[in-house]
Amino acid sequence: MQALAAPESENLHARRPRLWGWLLLAPLVGWLLIFVVVPMAILLVYSFCQRDELGRVVFSFTFQNYARVFDPIYLRILGRSVGYAALTTLICLALGYPVAWYIARQRERIRDRLLLLVMIPFWTSFLIRTYAWIAILKNEGLLNGMLQYAGIIAAPLPLLYTPLAVIIGLVYAYLPFMILPIYGSAEKLDNALVEAAHDLGAGPIRAFSEVIIPLTWPGITAGMLLVFVPAIGMFAITDLMGGAQVPMIGNVIQNQFFRARNAPFGAALGVVFTLMFVITYALVHRRGQRVR
Amino acid sequence: MIQRLLRPLLGAYLALSVCLTAVHSASKELNLFAWSEYVPQAVLDGFTKETGVKINYETFASGEEMLAKLLAGGTAYDLIQPPDYIAEALIKNKLLVPLDYRNIPRFKNLLPAFTKMPHDPEQKYTIPYMASTVGIVVNTERVKEPITGIKDLFSPKYKGRIVTVDDGRELVTAALYVLGYPLNDITPKNLREARPLLAQWMKLIKLFDSDSPKTALLNGDVDLGYVWGGEAALLWNENKKFIYVLPKEGAHQFVDVLAIPKGARNASAAHAFIDYILRPEVSKVISDEFPYTNPNGEARKLLTPEQRANPASYPQDPRKLDTFRHLGDSGALIDELITDLKNAK
Repeated sequence: MQALAAPESENLHARRPRLWGWLLLAPLVGWLLIFVVVPMAILLVYSFCQRDELGRVVFSFTFQNYARVFDPIYLRILGRSVGYAALTTLICLALGYPVAWYIARQRERIRDRLLLLVMIPFWTSFLIRTYAWIAILKNEGLLNGMLQYAGIIAAPLPLLYTPLAVIIGLVYAYLPFMILPIYGSAEKLDNALVEAAHDLGAGPIRAFSEVIIPLTWPGITAGMLLVFVPAIGMFAITDLMGGAQVPMIGNVIQNQFFRARNAPFGAALGVVFTLMFVITYALVHRRGQRVR
Repeated sequence: MIQRLLRPLLGAYLALSVCLTAVHSASKELNLFAWSEYVPQAVLDGFTKETGVKINYETFASGEEMLAKLLAGGTAYDLIQPPDYIAEALIKNKLLVPLDYRNIPRFKNLLPAFTKMPHDPEQKYTIPYMASTVGIVVNTERVKEPITGIKDLFSPKYKGRIVTVDDGRELVTAALYVLGYPLNDITPKNLREARPLLAQWMKLIKLFDSDSPKTALLNGDVDLGYVWGGEAALLWNENKKFIYVLPKEGAHQFVDVLAIPKGARNASAAHAFIDYILRPEVSKVISDEFPYTNPNGEARKLLTPEQRANPASYPQDPRKLDTFRHLGDSGALIDELITDLKNAK
């Protein structure tokens, strides 16, 4: 971003790279226009519309959809979704940071292999991996079977279709998205800086909090956003592993478009939701700049 | 004004997305929009082999989803498979094409009980595909007490041992049955009365699953279910410990139908396909794979005694079954109630 803002030279040759730059950007701009800007515009218009008996959108202006978004029911669902996503992000950070740090400190050959291990789950479909968790957590599943065989528990623990199962599913699904960006930052970190901190009398805690954390902060924020944002909207895991018992905002929006056929209300939820992401991003970004 | 600006934009957008997915579509293709896990691959292949018409089988997971996608107008579907009450809504809004019975000579194979039903009293637009009921599955190894009705199912001692379909209307219907109200009387007053009952039940339910409620029963995660008859039939085939009970308070039957939507490009292939699946031997293949209630009398004669004895496919119950009717705007009341109750858990 800062690079783009650099003052441009007046000389004639500068025009050609600029044209090239635009040509190279064109596919991305086109993609964003068709698949982000236009759908968002449609969503925005829909959110002020009404529906007819069959669920078709009727173009007559109303604020009612937004009034309903701020009904306590939906605010509570939104709050719970944020809570689940925040917990998922914290657990991913706590589990992912040491792993990313450890991988980044290895010799190149080992590093590449460890990174491969992080990415291997992506070779299988996300849904298949979620079903695998069902096989592990169910009453007559692998985990309960092993615990019973070992004599640790007498009766199977109810694990599947509980909030715990949802958190396990979410952490599992998004952990790599935390590890990879932190790894990116940690790998670039110059060990000499950490040594310098020690030489200047900083203990391990101080070196970690005042040198390592600030230097890997870009990776941490990227990881947090990559986990938090999709985790809020996730609906497949809450349906499959949570038993669709407690609705999350992603389930509610999906239901509005399909089951309830109330696209305008779904659109209003979507717009509020997107605004929330923008605000989250702005906050994290600002904090990032302050740390720097 | 907004409408005039947005419609062409939306149209162009949909056209673009359609172009990206389906580049060519000739008269040698049939766009079928049907439930997932409902039309055997062997039936599709058999039709293509005989007629040379390639079938594009696109699936949905609920009648409401089907309606939403049909009205969005992305693909020109030639043949759709809505449940009865959605078909009724489509007929009322003039969104179906009348059938040409000269091209469906095997219509006579259908049992009279499945024709001229309330959703299509003149049998002008729809042909029944498969029917079923919604009832109770009991794992008799784990539940020793007799279960005869919805009230028994939702006793506090079964907390955390129940799966139900994830369908607001089915849950509300169960409550209306217990209260003794007709299942299509979705009024604010009736829903107010149903609310405390549902709130109490929903605390007992471990899992809501419309796609495959049998899985949790098979896995032993729950012992009781309020599920589609076809799912119950598969469980019975798997293990006879799973018995199927039509609730004593009342039970309703649903029929999934085949119909041709307005805007279909290949109505002749759609008629040919309808007639094809009405052949007894083809209809039997459907029953073999998906043991719902087959409305085809000639096909039923080909079933094995064991298939016909499956109590979930062919309940031996003389009672008259109810059917869902199109609700219109009051459907939104159900959605609000269920979202509210799930959230209050």
